[in-house]
Amino acid sequence: MIGGGVIGTSVTYYLAKKGVKVLLLEKEGIAAGTSSAGEGVIFLQLKKPGIHLKLALESTKNFKSLEEEIDFKIEYRKNGTMLIVQNEKEFEAMKIVTKELRKTGLNVALLDKKQAREKEPALSEKIFGATFSSEDAQVNPMYLSLGLTKAAISFGAKIFTHTKVIGINMHRLKRIKSVKTTRGVIFTNVVVNAAGIYAPEIGKMINLDIPIIPRRGQLLVTEVVPQILSRPVTAAKYLAIKYNPEIAKIESKAAAIEPTENGNLLIGSTREFVGFDKRTTYEGISDIAESAITMVPKLKNINIIRTFAGLRPYTSDGLPILGKVKGLDGFIMAAGHEGDGIALSPITGELIAELIVNGDTNFSLEEFKLERFLSDN
Amino acid sequence: MKEEDVIICRCEEIRRSEIIQAIKEGSVTIDEIKRRTRAGMGLCQGKTCRRTIAQLISKYTGKPLQQILPATFRPPIRPIKLKSLGGEGNCCPKQQM
Repeated sequence: MIGGGVIGTSVTYYLAKKGVKVLLLEKEGIAAGTSSAGEGVIFLQLKKPGIHLKLALESTKNFKSLEEEIDFKIEYRKNGTMLIVQNEKEFEAMKIVTKELRKTGLNVALLDKKQAREKEPALSEKIFGATFSSEDAQVNPMYLSLGLTKAAISFGAKIFTHTKVIGINMHRLKRIKSVKTTRGVIFTNVVVNAAGIYAPEIGKMINLDIPIIPRRGQLLVTEVVPQILSRPVTAAKYLAIKYNPEIAKIESKAAAIEPTENGNLLIGSTREFVGFDKRTTYEGISDIAESAITMVPKLKNINIIRTFAGLRPYTSDGLPILGKVKGLDGFIMAAGHEGDGIALSPITGELIAELIVNGDTNFSLEEFKLERFLSDN
Repeated sequence: MKEEDVIICRCEEIRRSEIIQAIKEGSVTIDEIKRRTRAGMGLCQGKTCRRTIAQLISKYTGKPLQQILPATFRPPIRPIKLKSLGGEGNCCPKQQM
């Protein structure tokens, strides 16, 4: 198991639970990368209607019982989420989006300004309306990863942190033989690549091209404040940006505000292609601040205590890469979730474990295969 | 007061015993301790406690202090109001942080 983020720890947990002998290799610490550098919203209404949302809905089922199952507080709270609509044009677009979401099985309500402000009185008088999805929830991504790790250990999994993978050896018939690490060679038949933004680096070791690109998201953290919002709110504009990179180039001011269990607010996020640069920029941060204040004017007098940035594992079609890879016996992909890793963590873990143990899955992974990118060449 | 009850991170009220527990459970960097316990996540962003935490890691892992990875530093240096960054009250457009 390569990668100790929300995906890797989840796969490790579900495998160990099935009685599989599993070793997790993480080059830094648990949730040291992307998993600790974003928000923790299980944002169902931002998923692409269709297979993507179906997968997320499956994941939601797991989340409901996960805290009890792993006996670890992951700060799971189901208060729903709202997308804030700023003008009539956006409202018309959201009518179509919510219709599509309902078709896939997610009940999203369209609210006018009055209804929206009844739910969240801190919202600006200038908003046009909102959408509300009651099934959406929140979780603390760091505690999710740590909790899954702890539970996996109790089922016999081994965890090596600060251990880097430096090579993968194959048998002649393109079958996995062993993994070379900074702590020595490990013999195994199966390798799961859950290295997120570093998944292409692992791919290179066996001459496999994995089209995942780091996409930077900058965020700010406020001081602890008395409750202003009772659920995450995000600019509806975000939906368009997420699926149409052309819009991101022109307009990137779309904030997402998440009230955390502790009382800090997390406000994000930019979406930039800047390689592996994790720095925050004045421009990025002030754009987010501006957009957040537009939605919730009260925020202007709240202090921010930190800015940070994380790199999301982006794929060009917005879907993760999951499952076996043709011609590479024993090599399994579980990466490329971009900003959906938290929401998709439990289901990814469960499906990959099922795939390894049974050789197949009940929920088809056909549309998530790596080959969808390779066939173009 | 017992030594393990001493508060190491004053902002988040994290005790020495909690830091030591995190080290024993495998945290070997200041950031790993932070993600596990919230030490260093508060108003001062670890300005005081990160040194003490580094010393504790060194003590319990036997690693020399110089080899303990430093925490990630991020702006702002001290808390600032949101409005001074964006919107109408913006103090310093185009200036780099």
